[in-house]
Amino acid sequence: MADTSDASQKPVQVKLVLLGEAAVGKSSVVMRFVNNEFQANKEPTIGAAFLTQKCRLEDRVLRYEIWDTAGQERFHSLAPMYYRNAQAAVVVYDVTKAASLEKAKSWVKELQRQANPNIVIALAGNKVDLVSGQTTPRATPASADDEDEADDATATPGESDDATGSESLRQVPKDEASAYAAEAGLLFTEISAKTGDGIVELFTDIAKKIPIEHILASRGSAAPGTSTASRAPAVNLDDANEAKNACNC
Amino acid sequence: MATISTHLRNFKEPTKEQAQRHFFGLPTDPSKEDVGTTDHKFEINAVLMLNEDQEDSYAGKMHLLPPYLCFISLDRRSVKVSIPLASIRRVERVNHPRAVGVFQLGLTLWHGMKLTIQLTSLRPTADQFCAHLRDALKIQLDLGRMRQVKAFVKTCYSEVLIPVSNPEADNEREDGSIMTDNGEVDGNPLAQTSYHGGLGLTFKFPGDAKKLREGSKLKLWTTYLRAHGRNLTLLRYPHCTRLVQVGLPNRLRGELWETLSGSIFLRFGNPGVYENILASNAGRTSTSTEEIEKDLNRSLPEYPAYQDERGIDTLRRVLTAYSWKNPELGYCQAMNILTAALLIYMSEEQAFWLLEVLCDRLLPGYYSPSMYGTLLDQRVFEALVQRCLPMIHDHFQEVDVQLSVASLPWFLSLYINSMPMIFAFRIVDCFFCMGPKVLFQVGLAILKINGEKLLTVQDDGGFISLMREYFASLGDSAHPKSSDPRSRAIIKFQELLLVAFREFSVINDEMIDSERRRYRGDIIHGIESFAKRSAIRNLSTFGRFTKDQVGLVYDVLFKALCLSPPPPVVMTKRIISGTEEENERPETRIELQTFRLFLADIATWARDEYLVSNGFQERVDRRIAEHEFIDRLFFFWDTNHTGALSFQDLLNGLDGIMFSDLMSSIEWFFVLHDKNKDGWLTKDEVLTLSESLLFIFRAEVGDAYLGTVSRFMTNAFEYGDALQPENGQPAPVTPQTEVSANSPSANPEVASNQPYLNKATFRMVVLADPLLEAFFDVDLPRSFQLLPVEDTTIRRNQPGLGVLGNAVGGFFSSFVTDDNKKIFNSFVDDMGKAIGKHQVWPSRCLLTLHLRQFPRSLSAPQSTNTSAILPSKNLCAKQLVTFHESKGAAKRQPRAGARHRPLLHLRRHR
Repeated sequence: MADTSDASQKPVQVKLVLLGEAAVGKSSVVMRFVNNEFQANKEPTIGAAFLTQKCRLEDRVLRYEIWDTAGQERFHSLAPMYYRNAQAAVVVYDVTKAASLEKAKSWVKELQRQANPNIVIALAGNKVDLVSGQTTPRATPASADDEDEADDATATPGESDDATGSESLRQVPKDEASAYAAEAGLLFTEISAKTGDGIVELFTDIAKKIPIEHILASRGSAAPGTSTASRAPAVNLDDANEAKNACNC
Repeated sequence: MATISTHLRNFKEPTKEQAQRHFFGLPTDPSKEDVGTTDHKFEINAVLMLNEDQEDSYAGKMHLLPPYLCFISLDRRSVKVSIPLASIRRVERVNHPRAVGVFQLGLTLWHGMKLTIQLTSLRPTADQFCAHLRDALKIQLDLGRMRQVKAFVKTCYSEVLIPVSNPEADNEREDGSIMTDNGEVDGNPLAQTSYHGGLGLTFKFPGDAKKLREGSKLKLWTTYLRAHGRNLTLLRYPHCTRLVQVGLPNRLRGELWETLSGSIFLRFGNPGVYENILASNAGRTSTSTEEIEKDLNRSLPEYPAYQDERGIDTLRRVLTAYSWKNPELGYCQAMNILTAALLIYMSEEQAFWLLEVLCDRLLPGYYSPSMYGTLLDQRVFEALVQRCLPMIHDHFQEVDVQLSVASLPWFLSLYINSMPMIFAFRIVDCFFCMGPKVLFQVGLAILKINGEKLLTVQDDGGFISLMREYFASLGDSAHPKSSDPRSRAIIKFQELLLVAFREFSVINDEMIDSERRRYRGDIIHGIESFAKRSAIRNLSTFGRFTKDQVGLVYDVLFKALCLSPPPPVVMTKRIISGTEEENERPETRIELQTFRLFLADIATWARDEYLVSNGFQERVDRRIAEHEFIDRLFFFWDTNHTGALSFQDLLNGLDGIMFSDLMSSIEWFFVLHDKNKDGWLTKDEVLTLSESLLFIFRAEVGDAYLGTVSRFMTNAFEYGDALQPENGQPAPVTPQTEVSANSPSANPEVASNQPYLNKATFRMVVLADPLLEAFFDVDLPRSFQLLPVEDTTIRRNQPGLGVLGNAVGGFFSSFVTDDNKKIFNSFVDDMGKAIGKHQVWPSRCLLTLHLRQFPRSLSAPQSTNTSAILPSKNLCAKQLVTFHESKGAAKRQPRAGARHRPLLHLRRHR
């Protein structure tokens, strides 16, 4: 592909969709990732919100086009509109609500059957700040502006091994979700949009797993039929122009 | 997503009267007290004059729609009047000195305006109209409605704006025969008026009052309201619409919203209802209230009132009250934003009723659980874009951009969360005044204004970003480079409204209605097939079925649910005690009644078919068979003992039967009849089992199966007796015991409810008879057939409606919709009866136990017009072929099946 080298400088656009039960914190995860902030009262998402954020890998820059969908069940039938052509999905659940994992599983099932077959799906258990016991020490300075109510335990990772009283809030054991994710072939992590725990890592891990070469390849060869699997052409304005110049091999 | 909803199937086009009431903004369902008054409905051509101003007269139509009097000018646009009869204080015949023979009525309204109505119809019609008007007014008087007006208008801000300074009006009230309660004299109207207002009164209205030219707007409205009435008696003249288009003044906005939308009539007609709903549901919670709670802090959070408990409480009360009022709708995100916006300008009660009008009439189906209204209007919008802006539409198609990614929130939140509030409210003003078409007009104008840029958009994201930029710049000058300062002063929002109303004036409500009709079927189909896919995806196992077969089972289940929806009690329970998002995910479960319908479409023996011939057409009517055997199956499949079956239960049950071989068929049939599951049938149970067999065989012709069952019984009791344990120990079942069965039983005394026949013996008895063996091996599993459900059979009105009543009342208006086959049938049946050609024959005879005495007569040939029998015969023959061909068991003439029918159920109607 002639334009692969070209594209390595340019950010590669990746469409990512967030799905999950209402009030698990989808919008907050996006807010944390895009603006590195946490806002307690945000208007509920009507239909879907659209944001973009770059994500830097060692050799390449990705530009996430993030579709943050409404969580209320009755908006479910609109979801296909947003996850069509998505190359990545983050299915969010709330570790303090067992039912939200069930809903997440059903989203995963739906994505695996209805969405782009190459979609990278990550399962993310949000609100670990409420169940300090299981949080892993943070590796990145993602949470520059922690909320003042942020759990102390997250700041002192040493304590995190022995579960405390707040652990009782947890309804979804990490092992259980992780085992499910492994079985279903998903990325898995536990995060906190409030403290910023694991957010950046989540999106970086997804970025690593996205078959970028594949996206570029399918975009480069815009000939019909080559990439019915990943209908990527609707991604980049510039690349689309290049695609027109590329030969129909 | 385990609930299966069939409510979309019950959609009915509004009747002509409902459409008329919609048009005039009247409540669709007259309150209980008003039911009788609808007899006085009347229409008449008339010319309307205000205050005897000949210059300003409009020809049109007067509609008496008790308890309202309405007028619409001929162009259906200029003048529109809807006033409650209760606000009419005096009606008199005007004798015009110069124009003899002109029939004029003078109406004096509560606010003192005098309307002159010249009835231009023929004299008898005019007289009739007057009589009806008089009677309708009398009813209102008797109901005491006239008294309520006075107290009610005090809740309106316009009464403060235009104080009752008109002593004439006061006098007239006293003189008027209608009004009686004039005890107190209005000294200072301000002191007595406690008008309804919104949070804006306390927390300030959004926007800069000076910039919005609050003062001059208020002045203009004061003039208008003084001349043309206000609140209950507002007359909409052309000037009114123009005033609305420049934006309503903040203080009047709430009242004008409710007046223009007609929700004021609901508030007037339902005093105290809002408070009652709140009081009677105090302390209760539901899924909706939980969902509301989550969103309270995120509804227009930038407005000061919603950073305050007072504002939040107000919002909570209105939303929860509405969720109790309309539990089926409950609460949908976006309603919080909308309601929060309304509450800035209106009181809770006003907002509550306006919400009702919104959900019910202006945005039908937008917030329903399936959101079909939203999806439908998105489809309509797309069609309008295709028609009006074909270039944009084609470009979007080409680059695969979906319009609704951006436009859906526009419609769902009336642009409130898309553009700056002050602008959105002006669109809302026009929306309440001119109806839903405004949303489309504005949407089209947005696209048109941004047309050039939109043609460069390459993906959904680019589209959304462009729209976001545009909305953020609405306050900027539309022509910043213009040399003319006046044109520089025009902001983009003004340009938007101008384009919307000038260039898209062709978009009217009729067009939107007809587009909605066109796409409704598609949308419903889409939603239902989406629901089907989800339901199938959420199954934990398909058993041995293929995906297509599972789909067929779903279709049959869906059809059964359409015909026999779950009882309303279950429905409300489901909605209130936790829907989708609760831990215990509720499932649609069918009860016995629905199960019978379900099974009748799958198992051949679970239905009876009748051939109906009425001289015009012949058709096969299916009726549901009822038998204990079916009920048994229901409880057999209900493995969780919940008294209802889910889709998964049904699938598991069918899986256990349809793929059975000889041994497993015998097994489940045995277990089905073994009530206490101890592995033994009692004598009673053996009899029940035989009855089940007879029930299944009832449609088979001739004695072969009858004989089989009777042999079965003989054998069962013989073997059973023979195998009775000598010492309380069941005898081993071996071929030897079968031989020894010939010897007289050693222990015949077994009570009818004691364990008697075990599985092995049962199996032996079955295998002893080739016909039974064939039945369990092939016929029983095969009697369950998954056939595609005809879509048209589903689209019916709710069952339980008197079919005949339907046919008489609604035949002509509703025949065009495809869901009225049934009505059509009964209609032609009626005609057939009228001409004496209506006949009904069972296409399969009822062979149950008692028929054993009359086997011969059943198969006795009867001679009637054989041509009419044909379809029925075929059906029977098919049945028989499945049974007989499979095993070559004792064959009877299949044709005989058709012959016996006249004997049983031939009915001849005069």
